Amino acid sequence: MARRGVGTWLREGVWEIPLRRYLALLLAAALVTGLVFAVRVLAHDDRSCAPGVSRPQHSAECVGVATGPGPYDFGQARLTDAVKAIARENARLKPGSYVTVALMLPYTSTSPTMLNDIQHQLQGAYLAQYQANHDSNGQSPQIRLVLANPGATGTYGKRAVDQLARMTTGTDTLRAVAGIGQSTAANKAAVAELTTLHIPVIGSSITSDDLANGQGGKDPDPYPGLARVAPTNTDEARALTKFAQLKQGKALLVYDSPGDPYTTTLQKSFAALLKGSRYEPWPFTPPADRSQEGTTANTFRQITDLVCDTDPGTDTILFAGRHVQLRQFINALGARGCQDRRFTVLTGDEASYLTYEKDLNRDALRHNLSVLFTSLAHPDAWVRNPPATGGSQADFTALRTLLTSAERSPVGPIGSVALDDGQLIIGYDALRLAVHGIREAVQPGAAVPALADVGLQWPQVKGRTLRVNGASGWICLDVHGNPYDKAVPIVELTPEGSARFVRLAWPEGKPPPLDCLPPAT
Amino acid sequence: MGRRLHGRGALFDAEPAGLAPRLIGLRPHHHRATPLEHPDEPPFVVLTGTRGLGKSAVLAELRDAYQGHTPVALADCAEEQFARPPVDRSADSWSPLTQALLVIAEQLAEPVTGARRIIFPRLMSGLVAVAAGGWGDADSERIRREVERILLLNEGGSRFGGFAGRWAGKVAAKVVAAATGTGPLVSGAIEATLEAIAEGFAGRRHQKASEWYRTYPNAGGHAQRGLILLSRHFREDGPAREHAERYLVRALLTDLTEAYSGVLPRMQRLGRPLVLLDNAQAAPGPGLVAAVLRDRAEGVRDQVAFVAARRGEGRAELRSAARRELAEVARRTDWAPDATPSSRALLVALAPLSADDALHLVGSVCGDLPVPPHLPHAVHRLTGGNPLGIVLLAESAAQNLPGASSLGELLTAPVRPAEDRPGVPAYEALLDRLVPPEHLAELTVLAAAHGIGSAGALAGALLPDTFGPADVRELRTLMAAEGLPAVPGRFVGDRFVRTLLLLRLHLLDSDHLSWRTAHETLVAHYTAPEHARYRLHHELALGVTGSAVAELRDTFATADMRDWLRTLRFVASAPYFHAHDAEGRDFTGRGDGRTAVALGRTDAAQAVPEGADAVLHLRIRRLLHAVWQLADPLVLPDPQVCDRLRFELEQLSNLRPAAGALLWRASRDWPTAALAGRPMTGPDDPDDPGDGGDGGPDDRNSGEA
Repeated sequence: MARRGVGTWLREGVWEIPLRRYLALLLAAALVTGLVFAVRVLAHDDRSCAPGVSRPQHSAECVGVATGPGPYDFGQARLTDAVKAIARENARLKPGSYVTVALMLPYTSTSPTMLNDIQHQLQGAYLAQYQANHDSNGQSPQIRLVLANPGATGTYGKRAVDQLARMTTGTDTLRAVAGIGQSTAANKAAVAELTTLHIPVIGSSITSDDLANGQGGKDPDPYPGLARVAPTNTDEARALTKFAQLKQGKALLVYDSPGDPYTTTLQKSFAALLKGSRYEPWPFTPPADRSQEGTTANTFRQITDLVCDTDPGTDTILFAGRHVQLRQFINALGARGCQDRRFTVLTGDEASYLTYEKDLNRDALRHNLSVLFTSLAHPDAWVRNPPATGGSQADFTALRTLLTSAERSPVGPIGSVALDDGQLIIGYDALRLAVHGIREAVQPGAAVPALADVGLQWPQVKGRTLRVNGASGWICLDVHGNPYDKAVPIVELTPEGSARFVRLAWPEGKPPPLDCLPPAT
Repeated sequence: MGRRLHGRGALFDAEPAGLAPRLIGLRPHHHRATPLEHPDEPPFVVLTGTRGLGKSAVLAELRDAYQGHTPVALADCAEEQFARPPVDRSADSWSPLTQALLVIAEQLAEPVTGARRIIFPRLMSGLVAVAAGGWGDADSERIRREVERILLLNEGGSRFGGFAGRWAGKVAAKVVAAATGTGPLVSGAIEATLEAIAEGFAGRRHQKASEWYRTYPNAGGHAQRGLILLSRHFREDGPAREHAERYLVRALLTDLTEAYSGVLPRMQRLGRPLVLLDNAQAAPGPGLVAAVLRDRAEGVRDQVAFVAARRGEGRAELRSAARRELAEVARRTDWAPDATPSSRALLVALAPLSADDALHLVGSVCGDLPVPPHLPHAVHRLTGGNPLGIVLLAESAAQNLPGASSLGELLTAPVRPAEDRPGVPAYEALLDRLVPPEHLAELTVLAAAHGIGSAGALAGALLPDTFGPADVRELRTLMAAEGLPAVPGRFVGDRFVRTLLLLRLHLLDSDHLSWRTAHETLVAHYTAPEHARYRLHHELALGVTGSAVAELRDTFATADMRDWLRTLRFVASAPYFHAHDAEGRDFTGRGDGRTAVALGRTDAAQAVPEGADAVLHLRIRRLLHAVWQLADPLVLPDPQVCDRLRFELEQLSNLRPAAGALLWRASRDWPTAALAGRPMTGPDDPDDPGDGGDGGPDDRNSGEA
């Protein structure tokens, strides 16, 4: 008999014999099933990162709301301690006794400065949560804190918002979203979406004017239910100019053209101050992505030459631009020809990024150049000679005490802490405002407030008793949810890379009155 | 794998299925199911045919085609082991049939693709019971030997190698102990066997098997008693033994049926088990066939495919069996049994091979050897399609070409059956296998005869006195039983065998004395004028052509042309083994004088008898030699002679315008037929030119016999 092939063997040695055929079919079915399972296991694109968090199609970013119960740090080791502390605190809460507050920040950002800010805000938020749950005389409801990540650039804001919207019902009882961060288009869309869904939003470090209500006479409010802890850019610019006591002819303006919401706000505020100036404002055009270097360094070298050409009386440069461009400008000024002339650069809170900037020529700051900028908060603001109103040392000390206790269990650890960028303070205040709104909205007899009621509390946050005595100063909200006459610490960039507190400035030129009620405009 | 048999497609075709696949349910050489033609009950196929038609080859091919795919057993009833009991075995406890059953079951037990060994507990019990009848004076060693072989039939082939045979050994020890101890011998052995079966295997199948003999007539529901009765019946011989044997056959079939029933076996086994019986005309063939057929007729169904091969047509034994030619059963058998047992059989006559098959066979045997183009046709013409003849001649050609060119030379040339065996002349090798060896001598002499009368004359002249006319008739009957065709006009009907026998007669003595005596005896035997053609035929065989030419010449003008042509062909069909000189003496040269005469090369030297038409005389002479040469089955047809034949017949047709059409027809047909290797017959002529269409002279003529 000739040698037979495998095919013949299969056909005649297996298939033709019913017993073997059925056994083979059974075996084949088992193999196929196993194979299918194996392939599914192997090829399965596990896009989930943690409960509530997953990678969108074509993206490696873990976005969404980390609903726990386990801690999830979005792959950022520096957040681990704080996240664990929050998970511990969340785990302690009994269902039905709490409401959820989401802290929405770009946790998957790759920028170290951004991550620094996020870490500090998160720490502050956690401390406020802890304080609300432990040190408020058993007030209810308790606060559960969750992290919501719209992606490093906010690309997946919609996804996060949808998730948050779902969490407003059921056991999550989400009642507020804090954080948000920069006033980018994606963030604005997310806030718009959230407020449309009647979810209250508490902006922590938003300073932009166009991510605020009541700006430019817009009516009705574009973001009903949005409250802010930080003053608008306009208020900051007002405070800054009040501080600088600018005189005609002594200042000139360098601005970002076409600009983004932040720079435009600054530019407009500054330009208003410079009406009738001898020098027309000098624009520069950075790349669309303002975190890129671009070719603006050349522009700034030319502007520096022009600066030296100005009258000797001119000593103040108002800079309306983002921090990368500011760094380039400072580096250019460090190499200016007229080193003997003293200049002060005034700019907005973007300058705070430069405190950790390695590419900054710090030597420039030692040669008749000082960079003053507004900060959201500063640890030294209330230490020496605090003003009688607008904030108090006691309010800040409460945070200090919390921080001390957070160095160890049961409150901590929460990771390395730094206060001078103000992010921790502002994060803490933002959540305190959220807690305030939530607890004020609780109807008698109810355990948790209705969702819409929380946002309605913002206009009432004012006066002696209803204001929030934040660690960054009093938070008295106007009818649009913007802080009224919020303390604006003016800080100076030091050659050592820190922000030295100079003094407090006030948008109104002076601290608010004791009753802290915004006047009619 | 390739087909080894030519011209047997009707049996082995796979697509569409031939008889074997339809009968067995499996495609040959494959483990692939084929629909059964008779799913309820297969016909008992009996292949018939004379010696050399390839029956054994067909059975061997069947075995090769199905071995390993389905249980196959091949038993050749002509084998020595079935002829007589082993030396130390008494005839009391042995019969050819029990031996055959043992041999068949042993082969069927072998595992096949997808299924394990088959066990035969019923047959085993029965055979032990029968064998026990002969242990009266046996020593224990012999008993152990006998019984162990039988017991192995029940060995299921365990997965655990060491187990095989151990059970048989144990039971054998018990049986031996029982047989040699005190007490009734047979029942002791049977009891031990039955006990061992029941002990060794507790399965349902064995339970059933051990109870099977309860139904033996008069057993009264006791298996042991049934077996004792079986043993006694077997010893009683005669019809009682037949009865016992039939029960043993039934045991074998029941065991086989059992092996094929049940869910698991049905899912493991394809097709039917196949039992092949060669030489079924010899014992134990007829007994086995009869037992199976009778059981089937009585409704004891089995699904065993039997294919037996027997010499002769078996008209006596299988009276009402369906009879088919091989070609008829190629696609369907149209077989439907009636009530009689023999109607359960289907007799299939193996046909001679076709000329194409001969061509293929010669080609396959000779391989790359250049073969004369007419040789395959000539071989086919000589052998009449006999497969053995074709193969042996092709073998001779392969071994002797180009030294031997004519068929005569190929027949006389030595053929070595194997490399290391001495060669024997091809015709001797053929006769060894085509003719019953014990009658070869008589048949050699009688081959020249045409009927009983002439055969008697030959026997009187050449055979011992003990061989009388009765023996002649018996020989004829024997040939009919052998399946050799009875043809009027030829004592040995088969043309090929007759040629071989005549050749042997011719070469019997170095001076061809027997040959000459035989023909001279026949010349003397046929004295009557109406037997002139026979006389002339034998004269021609002796090399005397003058009288034949004269007779044909003188009757040409007056005879019925059809008769005249018949006479011409019959006279010219005389054997011609080598050249004869002008005086009719043999000489040893290799030339063929007929060609020279037929082509007119010797006309000048030929003296025309006084008063004869010289042209006609010479023409008739040329014509006779041409026909003689072309009709000679041993000579390759010569195209030149064919041309000459055509010419001579054309010329003759001019001489007798009234009968011109017949002559002219022959002038067209004969050369073509001769060249194609066919007999030179016209369309309106009977197949055989030799018999004259009116039978042998001496069978008809009472005065002669």
